[in-house]
Amino acid sequence: MRLGKARERTHTKPFKLSNEGKWGILMISPYLIHFIVFILFTMFASLYFSFSHYDMLNAPQWVGLENYTKLVNDTVFWKALGNTVYFTVLFVPAQTILALILASALNQQLRGLKLYRMAHFIPVISSWTVVLYVADAIFNPRFGLANDLLLKLGMQPQQWLNDEHLVIPVLVVVAVWKGIGYMMVIFLAGLQNVPEDLYEAADIEGAGVLQKFRHVTIPLISGTTFLVLVLSTITTFQAFEQIYVMTGNSGDITAAGGPDNSSMVLMLYLFQQGFAFLKMGYASAIAWILFIMLFIITLIQVKLQNKWVHYEK
Amino acid sequence: MKKPNKKRKIVSYLVITLSAILMLTPFVTAALNSLKSYSQYTAIPVEWIPNPFHWKNYLEVWQMTDFAQYGLNSMIVTVLSVAGALLSCSMVAYAFARLDFPFKQSLFLMVLGTLMIPPVVMIIPQFIIFKNMGFLDTLVPLWLLEWLAQPFGIFLMRQAFLAIPKEYEEAAKLDGCSPFQTYWRIFLPMCKPQLATLTIFTFMTKWNEIMAPVIYLSSEEKFTLPIGVLSMSGAWFGQEQYLVAAALMTLVPILIVFLFTEKFFVKGASSSGLK
Repeated sequence: MRLGKARERTHTKPFKLSNEGKWGILMISPYLIHFIVFILFTMFASLYFSFSHYDMLNAPQWVGLENYTKLVNDTVFWKALGNTVYFTVLFVPAQTILALILASALNQQLRGLKLYRMAHFIPVISSWTVVLYVADAIFNPRFGLANDLLLKLGMQPQQWLNDEHLVIPVLVVVAVWKGIGYMMVIFLAGLQNVPEDLYEAADIEGAGVLQKFRHVTIPLISGTTFLVLVLSTITTFQAFEQIYVMTGNSGDITAAGGPDNSSMVLMLYLFQQGFAFLKMGYASAIAWILFIMLFIITLIQVKLQNKWVHYEK
Repeated sequence: MKKPNKKRKIVSYLVITLSAILMLTPFVTAALNSLKSYSQYTAIPVEWIPNPFHWKNYLEVWQMTDFAQYGLNSMIVTVLSVAGALLSCSMVAYAFARLDFPFKQSLFLMVLGTLMIPPVVMIIPQFIIFKNMGFLDTLVPLWLLEWLAQPFGIFLMRQAFLAIPKEYEEAAKLDGCSPFQTYWRIFLPMCKPQLATLTIFTFMTKWNEIMAPVIYLSSEEKFTLPIGVLSMSGAWFGQEQYLVAAALMTLVPILIVFLFTEKFFVKGASSSGLK
């Protein structure tokens, strides 16, 4: 009898909630609903759809690996993958390096610091629709400032976003312009944690500006740099809004990604397949390939960080 | 902050001044374009300064398009999102920071984990959930998830609650406050800076959002500003100066909110790189 009682007590104990425990569970319930319905359930559903034909009118029909094998032979998918990688490879280093240079310039007692910072924030707080019309002032092939400048310099005007070879570089330039203010502030926070006496020690040893940057600044902010790189790679890989807005036509999703798919990226392809052509299964397969690639890239970046990221002991 | 060094300062001023000019030139050019007639707008060679200024372009956007309706929709989505984010994130964060309940550690690890999952795998099933709930072509899917505590906000608010000394809690307990009352009456008012940070970030995200409206909205009277202005381009073909004016007007509310909360924007942005 005693034994039974003891067992019963240990058995019931975790389920007996204190008053505080009840409040705790109640107060986190919004997140619990979020997690169960909108994360856990959706992940399983999306995995299931990726092995199905699903047009949203009829129930999903299991087709095994068919979506994935079709993707392997889909030339537009490969083009979208290539463009996504190309965009990321151009964008991430360019934005990171330029943001670091700007942050280093701002990291001292300058007059009008706040105004300088705000000038760099206006693109950050603008929607891509605003950016579209603002960028048009520069890159409009007929009357944009860029071509006006080229003509004045005696060079050939360009088609910019309508040119197969220029469209991604131009999109990258605009993306850097829009995002650099945000990255600059992240770097500024990192730079302000670098102890002043390290620079003084470097001064005593007669180090120049570039040497100090190379041997003091870079190693000490490598943790921040690492985060910036991981975060911007993940976001860039999933970029949709910019391509949709800047290469589309009046918000027609099937028109975006041109010219001739030269700015088609994975997220846009996923959207076209899913929401324009109602191939939800196929779109889910693209989503999972994207997810797996992001996972691998993050893993590689984490592995590589041991080689160059310097954490203070 | 580094010690003053003349050469370094001059170079820095040059770099950031040049950069600031590059940041603002497109806006200034677009603003000037928005004040031109179409023939001034398309003139070659480019005429920088409109002559005369067509101020009525801005008025005509209001009179001749659904701009006001789009603006109202955007306002509804943004205000409901901000309210939802402030309430749900702070409540969940308070429980994680100050209350003791079963599986707290593992549940918090779960929040951390969900931050790593890219949204891409959830888009399609979420759409199907909202479709089955009958919310297609309504504004509901655009703000509802903000009422279910997004991880960024939970983190931000949890840090704030953790920093408050224990004595406040004990005093509240002596006064007979329930945990919820303690959170609502005592702790929440002490976290105004973080609430401001969360406000500006949610406002910015929702005001500018394009992906969700594109997925969920099909009738034009439901459109929010970013996709509403995009959709105007068909009707205004050959009159693009109106589109520039409309786009620039959508920037005004977020610019005003930003000017008042710039400090909190910087804080939020810099903390997002320092986890």
